[in-house]
Amino acid sequence: MTIVTGKTEARRRLQPGSSGLLRNIWKHRADYAYVLPAIAVMLIVIAYPIYYTVELSFFKTPPGLQLRDKSFIGLDNYTAILTSQVFWKVTLNTLIWTIASTFVAFVLGFAAALALHREFIGRGVLRAILIIPWVISAVAASYIWKWIYHSDFGIIGAVLVGLGLADRPPNFIDNVSTVLPSLIVVNIWREFPFAMIMMMAGLQTVPDQLLRAAEVDGANAWQRFWHVTFPHLRNVSTVTILLLAVANFNSFIIPWIMTGGGPSNASHIWITHIYELAFGRQRWGVASAYSVLLFLMLMVLGYFYVRALAGNERKEGGA
Amino acid sequence: MSTIAETVPQRPTRRRMRVDGWRWAGRIFLVFMLLYTALPMIWMLITSIKSGFAAMQFPPQWWPDEPTLASYQKLLDPQNSVGQDFLRFFWNSLYVSTVTTILSVIVAVPAAYAFSRFRFPGRNFLFFTVLLRNMFPAVIFLVPLFILMRAIGLVNTHGSLILTYLTFGLPLAIWLLKGFYDNIPVQLEQAARIDGATRFQAFILIVMPLSTPGIIATAIYSFIGAWNEYIYAYTFLSKNEQLTLPVGIQRFFSENTTDFPGLMAASFMMSVPVVVLFLLLQRYFVRALTEGAVKH
Repeated sequence: MTIVTGKTEARRRLQPGSSGLLRNIWKHRADYAYVLPAIAVMLIVIAYPIYYTVELSFFKTPPGLQLRDKSFIGLDNYTAILTSQVFWKVTLNTLIWTIASTFVAFVLGFAAALALHREFIGRGVLRAILIIPWVISAVAASYIWKWIYHSDFGIIGAVLVGLGLADRPPNFIDNVSTVLPSLIVVNIWREFPFAMIMMMAGLQTVPDQLLRAAEVDGANAWQRFWHVTFPHLRNVSTVTILLLAVANFNSFIIPWIMTGGGPSNASHIWITHIYELAFGRQRWGVASAYSVLLFLMLMVLGYFYVRALAGNERKEGGA
Repeated sequence: MSTIAETVPQRPTRRRMRVDGWRWAGRIFLVFMLLYTALPMIWMLITSIKSGFAAMQFPPQWWPDEPTLASYQKLLDPQNSVGQDFLRFFWNSLYVSTVTTILSVIVAVPAAYAFSRFRFPGRNFLFFTVLLRNMFPAVIFLVPLFILMRAIGLVNTHGSLILTYLTFGLPLAIWLLKGFYDNIPVQLEQAARIDGATRFQAFILIVMPLSTPGIIATAIYSFIGAWNEYIYAYTFLSKNEQLTLPVGIQRFFSENTTDFPGLMAASFMMSVPVVVLFLLLQRYFVRALTEGAVKH
């Protein structure tokens, strides 16, 4: 309760002339009780960790979690990160991973949603099957694909050899040049259904009358899609792409289980790298500094996310 | 006049041809997606009914010469040490996921209702703060949360997981439910109030039943998220008897790296509950997204 009013008081100072605000808060005091449980959980599990991470990032820390012996070293952790070669390698991997996964998953999901929009026999079954990869655990997915990519007994290798396309089964995940694309295929397998569900939901909001009107006016299928359907889906698309991008940027399980970041960092992305620094090499200070940098980048994405959501809100208000 | 009469019948046929082209492209694409989605899962099932020896052959047996359910029997046999562990992990996952689901519905429903109905100062700010949680990766919170959990004595308990999982589910849950409440006319509640119901009664009797699909969707989302969560469970729990399925399976198979039939059987068993749950309730989920998240 106090925290909530503290925040709003801070806002009050930003808005001069709203002297009735305190009375307004008091008048609405019962309303806060509804949101209080949610806010309280959020504060414990979010605000405190963020504060602590920022603090640790300025300290040199001993290994082990007895963090009493830490010593203040200013920005040394940050300079150490930005001058290391691994940082740039991992950043490039993260960019490739995030952009490729997001783009392909969105396009596949959107196309599947469009193809499933028309009524046909077996549509419900097909839709259900396509959603399954999104529902099952990423750990299970990682093991399934690890087995499929297996360098000796993997099915893809066997098919390639059987078709005469390769002399011996190729090694997908122990190879510096193929490991990242191979993992991206797994990630897309798991994520396109999310884009599909979102876009299916979005497609239902496109008014049929408009489509029919366009058809009467002689618009072909592509024109109807481009001039009627797509503009209606702009908001959903933005939100979907942002959610996918954030999820991909933050993904951990697939690279961690399938490769652990190897071989020679070829499949390390930011999160796996931070995890290894913290829990593998116990360099808490450096890992925290990494987290703060990550946090700053996410704030940029977050800005667009909130703007997209706020756009939806405004539309709702107007409707 | 005659020229028009001649051109009119032509136009529909030409248009139908074009539409058919798109429709065929759609069908071919769907077949491709079906293969991409289903083949890995089919291969998982086929491998899980092979013997360890049959799985390690090149070229592979496309269909096992001697299909066997041995892997499943081993996992489900409480006498066997593997089965004992697996069933315990399964129970742990079920317990953590169920409690998380119940708590997140209890917390999300009033919050979403307030964000939808009340116009208290700071509402938008708080709403977006809650949503921003989605932006942050688990790893950022891992070290401080571990220390926090140790300080309040929750390390190596399921409580640490439940508290953490609550915060994943909440943002989307609140967002979805808020969309639902926005769509329920206030007049319905007002009518109930005029008839003498308190605000709480109006909420329970009018609003709750109307938002059932949203609540079900929220519950599915929380359950699946908790069931599949890996990184916190991997960090917070170290005692074997407390592990949840994803971590338990990973730990088990890092010791038995070549038992692929067993691994595939375990992956399958781990997927069954969430897939069944989702398939049973998916129409609520899609409806909730339509009405909640993406309406205009």
